[in-house]
Amino acid sequence: MNCRECKEHLYEYLDRELTPDLERDIRRHLLDCPPCGEQFDFEKLFLEFLQARCRAQGAPADLKRRIFNELFGE
Amino acid sequence: MTPPIPPTPPAPSPAAEAEKRASFEREALVHLDTLYRVALRLTSNPAEADDLVQETMLKAYRAWHQFQQGTNAKGWLLTILRHAFINEYRRRSRHPETVDIDAIEPFSVFEDVQDDDPQGTFFDRIVDDEVLRAIDDLPEQFRETVVLSDVEGLSYEEIARVLEVPVGTVKSRLFRARRMLQQKLYHYAVGMGYIKGNSK
Repeated sequence: MNCRECKEHLYEYLDRELTPDLERDIRRHLLDCPPCGEQFDFEKLFLEFLQARCRAQGAPADLKRRIFNELFGE
Repeated sequence: MTPPIPPTPPAPSPAAEAEKRASFEREALVHLDTLYRVALRLTSNPAEADDLVQETMLKAYRAWHQFQQGTNAKGWLLTILRHAFINEYRRRSRHPETVDIDAIEPFSVFEDVQDDDPQGTFFDRIVDDEVLRAIDDLPEQFRETVVLSDVEGLSYEEIARVLEVPVGTVKSRLFRARRMLQQKLYHYAVGMGYIKGNSK
């Protein structure tokens, strides 16, 4: 596998959406190719950063009360 | 001749009602936070997000007998939410957007920062609100894809089912959405002086 082929599957690899064979080929390429390895690490950190920044928010307590009230009359 | 009056369906027994409520609480209401986050990103308006989630839960409870127990309740609820949004909210708040996909630059910010900050530590200095604003600025079809994937962790297959598009479309939207977000946040970080900009 060359660098271009490896980068084509960048997000599918990070999202764990590849077949086991392709995933193994990419893992092997990343071990042999530090520049690709660095880019994959950067993209992985970016996705983790996005999730950490966006997941803190939950439904407000007042909305939960409204829904319970509407569904179950309490 | 007047048609015969159909018999009134028997009222559900208290035991059946209690069972319905218990299973709805167990399988649907546990996804309230997910529905709220998605609604907030779709509407960009907390009051509308509240109403959209409430309406979704009401519709879901009424249709609960149609839900196949043991299948993916989160996906089922998100589909109801998205249909409600398209039918009732998008008309009011935003227009459906069309995007010139080729106009989106597909390069990674990594190419700009690999010498100065290859680990992207500048991202750590960007606050939550700025990230949410960047997501809200994405065109709708990219915004909903990135929220379902990167915020809520749905698989490509699950996203494709909720958005009613092929898996290949999910992949290409996700790729472009992430690159757009990266570039937006990178330019913000450069503007704030968190990282030296690349003038090329």
